[in-house]
Amino acid sequence: MWEWWRKNKPLLLGGVLLLVALLWYSVSLRQQDETSFVENLVLRMTGPAQAGLDRVISGTADLWGRYLWLIDTAAENRQLQEENRALHAVVTASEEIRLENQRLRRLLDFKEEQKIETLPARVIGEDASSWFRTITIDKGSEQGLVEGLPVVVAEGVVGRIVRVSPRFSRVLLITDASSAVASLLQDNRARGICRGQGESLVFDFVLRQEDIHVGDRVITSGMGGVFPKGLVVGRVESVDRPEFGLFQVISVVPAVDFSHLEEVLILLREAS
Amino acid sequence: MNRTLVYFVLAGLAVVLQTVLLPVFLRTDLKPDLILILVVYLGLHEGPWRGGLLVYLMGCFYDGVAGAFPGLHGFVLLGIFLAVRGIVTRVNTESSPLLLLLVLSGTLLQSVLLAFALDFFRQESVLWSQIVWQLPGQLLLNFVAALVLLRLIVWLQRTFLPRSALPGLRKLDSRYES
Repeated sequence: MWEWWRKNKPLLLGGVLLLVALLWYSVSLRQQDETSFVENLVLRMTGPAQAGLDRVISGTADLWGRYLWLIDTAAENRQLQEENRALHAVVTASEEIRLENQRLRRLLDFKEEQKIETLPARVIGEDASSWFRTITIDKGSEQGLVEGLPVVVAEGVVGRIVRVSPRFSRVLLITDASSAVASLLQDNRARGICRGQGESLVFDFVLRQEDIHVGDRVITSGMGGVFPKGLVVGRVESVDRPEFGLFQVISVVPAVDFSHLEEVLILLREAS
Repeated sequence: MNRTLVYFVLAGLAVVLQTVLLPVFLRTDLKPDLILILVVYLGLHEGPWRGGLLVYLMGCFYDGVAGAFPGLHGFVLLGIFLAVRGIVTRVNTESSPLLLLLVLSGTLLQSVLLAFALDFFRQESVLWSQIVWQLPGQLLLNFVAALVLLRLIVWLQRTFLPRSALPGLRKLDSRYES
């Protein structure tokens, strides 16, 4: 017996460790709607680094994309190039300001349309893993954010806040596999649930007899308790009616381009 | 203690790179998993208790910036670490092709453990179809990242610390490989 124990000790202890880790994960799932101490600590520690690096990268990418390439293309005349550089610097700066102004104006127009109080935030980081879809924003509990608040842009729904630290928060995007949004079709009012599938969405639980067309707009139904009714989720991309089964298989393209998110709005209200 | 601190600093750097810098250059949802590479390295060169605890803590910290399930990455990374520990006595741990092979195997194991932990414990989450779709790209990215890191670290060591020896990287330099 002792010999057997000595021979298999690493394997058994490894198995026990793994089992304990799995049990802890399973228990933690019950409190997953709250931000744990460790998650709060990680957000506090990584948030400033992310915000700083994001600022540096934005500035560098802007310089590279809009300025340095132009120097290469205008290499024929050194003197003109110098003038061009100065002019382009001014144009670049004003163009960036114009674009930012445009984005913020759209957000502001959208904000004025909303009856709920909103708070703008800047996106400073993405999810560290390829398998999940979350973003980090530069607003936290000091600005009144709590878990569960909906996040939107002018084009439509972005997601909901899942983790909050004093100055930074994490938002679970609607395209994440664990995300579900109570939705309905704007034209025929058919109800269902929009689930994330990485880059697109799938509109589940829509009955076979519902008449649905490609291009139909999907909006939030307000039934889930997170998003207010009427926010745009996306458009129907494909409809498949299997031979058997109660429901249709509907693919939805999100209204929001998640790869170009820079600023978002948080709808402030009592979290459900 | 110093080594533990270095591992955590490396993990922090990896997280900042993965969340801010790499998404700008890659312009896709896929990004190389530098933490996984670090865990494979730890599996090859750290003991089961110290390494296991380190990896589990690292995983719990990783949960703060990846996904929304506390304890998930602790379990997944610990699983990968223990799997690497399981074969470590039977292989030459200072061979660079082995490290690359283990990174590929670790990526496969990671996707299996993630799919198991999410789809088995949370019915409303359907991750496996997404994992299957993304896995080839993720394997390629992790392989390239491990290759680049290996070359970079060996070059840095040769250039700046020629007399010191990083555990496990002494013979990874091709000059010493037969």
